[in-house]
Amino acid sequence: MKTITFDQKKTSSIALEFDELITDNIYSWTEEDFAAYKVPVGNSRFPITDYFDITVEGEAESPAEVKMILNGDCNRVKYIGCKMSAGEVVVNGDADLHVGAEMSGGVVTVFGNVAAHAGREMKGGKLEIMGNTKEFCGASYIGEWRGMSGGEIIIHGNAGKQCGECLVGGKIHVLGDCDILAGIHMTKGTIEIDGNVNRWPGGQMKNGNIVIHGKVGRLLEGFVEQGIVTDPELDGIVYPGRYIEYKGDIALNGKGTLIIDAEKNRDRLSTWIEEDDEYNAIREYRAQ
Amino acid sequence: MTYEPPVTDYDHIVENCTCAFCGCNCDDLDFLVKDGHVVAVRHACRLGASKVMEDMDQRLLVPMVRNEEGVLEEVDWDTALDTAAKYIAESVRPVFYGWSETSTECMKEGVELGEYIGAVLDNQATICHGPSLQAMQNAGYPIQTLGEVKNRADVIAYSGSNAMNSHPRHLARYAAFPRGYFRQRGRFDRTVITMDPKFSDTAKMSDKWIGFEQNGDYGFYNALRAVLKGKKLQSESVSGIPAEDIYELAAEMEAAEFGVLFFGLGLTHTLGKQRNIDIAIKLVQDLNTNSKWGLTPMRGHFNVNGFNIFMAYETGWAFGVDFCRGYGRYMMGETNTIDLLVRKEPDCFMVIAADPGAHFPNGANQHLANIPVIQIDIHWGPSTELADVVLPGSFISVECGGTSYRMDGVPIWMKKAIDKPETCRDDEWIVRELKERVMKLREEPNVADEYVPNEGLACLLDK
Repeated sequence: MKTITFDQKKTSSIALEFDELITDNIYSWTEEDFAAYKVPVGNSRFPITDYFDITVEGEAESPAEVKMILNGDCNRVKYIGCKMSAGEVVVNGDADLHVGAEMSGGVVTVFGNVAAHAGREMKGGKLEIMGNTKEFCGASYIGEWRGMSGGEIIIHGNAGKQCGECLVGGKIHVLGDCDILAGIHMTKGTIEIDGNVNRWPGGQMKNGNIVIHGKVGRLLEGFVEQGIVTDPELDGIVYPGRYIEYKGDIALNGKGTLIIDAEKNRDRLSTWIEEDDEYNAIREYRAQ
Repeated sequence: MTYEPPVTDYDHIVENCTCAFCGCNCDDLDFLVKDGHVVAVRHACRLGASKVMEDMDQRLLVPMVRNEEGVLEEVDWDTALDTAAKYIAESVRPVFYGWSETSTECMKEGVELGEYIGAVLDNQATICHGPSLQAMQNAGYPIQTLGEVKNRADVIAYSGSNAMNSHPRHLARYAAFPRGYFRQRGRFDRTVITMDPKFSDTAKMSDKWIGFEQNGDYGFYNALRAVLKGKKLQSESVSGIPAEDIYELAAEMEAAEFGVLFFGLGLTHTLGKQRNIDIAIKLVQDLNTNSKWGLTPMRGHFNVNGFNIFMAYETGWAFGVDFCRGYGRYMMGETNTIDLLVRKEPDCFMVIAADPGAHFPNGANQHLANIPVIQIDIHWGPSTELADVVLPGSFISVECGGTSYRMDGVPIWMKKAIDKPETCRDDEWIVRELKERVMKLREEPNVADEYVPNEGLACLLDK
């Protein structure tokens, strides 16, 4: 196992691009190799050692045996873990745009907030963000209709606009709130949101699942209420509790499933029967 | 409004000139010239006429460079160009912004300079119809020319656009009023619908006003699409519009022989942003199942569309193209001027025929005050106060010729009518001079000590 530690020496107002510094490329690098490497900054390249103290411990035969640790405020470091296929990346701080974009394997963990386009067009692996993330998490490149197609993104904070845009596979789990148009144009995969959603989840979705445990601000007309479901099972996962199920977006003959917590969204129902049942315990647990 | 008698005191008339104000590019103007100045304009709207006639108001006439005391002082052209070229040559993250009020020929020089130096090239689309262009990249562009609108359209819909104020001749020359080949009675043969939260001047002269609530665009269009698919609405009203009105509107749009949806920033810059345009394009696609519909953005600056068409042709991206790695890249939120400035990334900013000082948010302008700014423009404006080098250009379509693209993508040659002031230069010449001087500076090894040529992955392969 090889551990490569990047300790930040100074920050840059112009973003550093780390698309070449991924486990697939650097698993065999020594400290001398890093000292000779120049990182892209704007239209130039500068020695990486101007910005980071780099220490290398251990040996690795493949990218899977590498662990990259970035210590410091990396909110001007783009493309961390971009296109990586194996190994582990840990960012102890914030991270900039395109974290884990197009990754096909391995694990990226960010102990801070992340800028937009995290997990863009991700194909596999796991991206875990302990803070918030901005717009287009797990989305597609502009002009492309296929966003994240595999793997898992877990966001412990809130997610910005159009989270899971054009999702075609994999799972996004937002433990906080989510802004507008979560899962827009999605065709497959699952988005689970524990918090509230601003408005219009699943706009123009064709298929796939969206599960919302919080309150939904406004729903589109394209979603047709199917009634209340109990303990629904979607793609082999059971979501305990009572939910209102919708199908849509019928504006484009979509067959997606949107289930939202029945109690928190009871104002959407014409009738509501108070039930003192086993699910109260689940709700109390979630409230904690 | 007071009566203004016709101007009779002029030397000669230059006919068939083109207006350099909005995206309509009206090319039927007559300039009345006296003593080398345009004293009156025939056929133009008030906005276009005032821009042409007041060309000498606060005019930048000589090159200027900001001195150590922070005051702009007049210098000769060589000094100003050398100073600007030095700023560009030494920069690591240059941004060239503007381009929408200059000719496409000037853009060609700009792209060559930007690609050579590794700059970001962006235009006013970043603060206006950028989301429209993003949506078009996703969903397509069902467009028609304004000539087709004039001759064929029987239903004209304006969404989030107050054309009566922003594009005054749009209705008169192309959309609502003109008599066309298949619309011989003009306005009487057409139905005008305005979809806007405000009861605007355009809404006042329309046959129908759909006043949906603010930020309700996406929900409204979604409902309209559902109705066109034959679905029944579940709510009594959507975005503040009663369901019956939506059924009626959908039927009216579907029954059109040739319909056109013109949309403005009211649709582009509400909550759904590019997704509003995305769903509007999809709506037009749905309507084309049983009818014939097109869609056109109401572009503001006269050549803002030209930059987008030119850049899309040259680089594959319409605006916000980043050449810093030696090839073109684009990503919303990353390579757009406002985002870059708010992130405090640029270390050199060249503004050409635009006024970020007046239009950009405070956070962006704060950064502009801290970095070298080069301005190429014809008028003194807020951006001049931020500029370190001022290079006075010339007025396209009045003082020099050039190509412009109308809002529907039709290229129009804008001819020269009068001579420019002796001390000013054409925009194209200025950018070409800068390009040559920057190339010369970069060839000298000691100019930018920190500069390392972009090697791409070569350094990895050399390892």
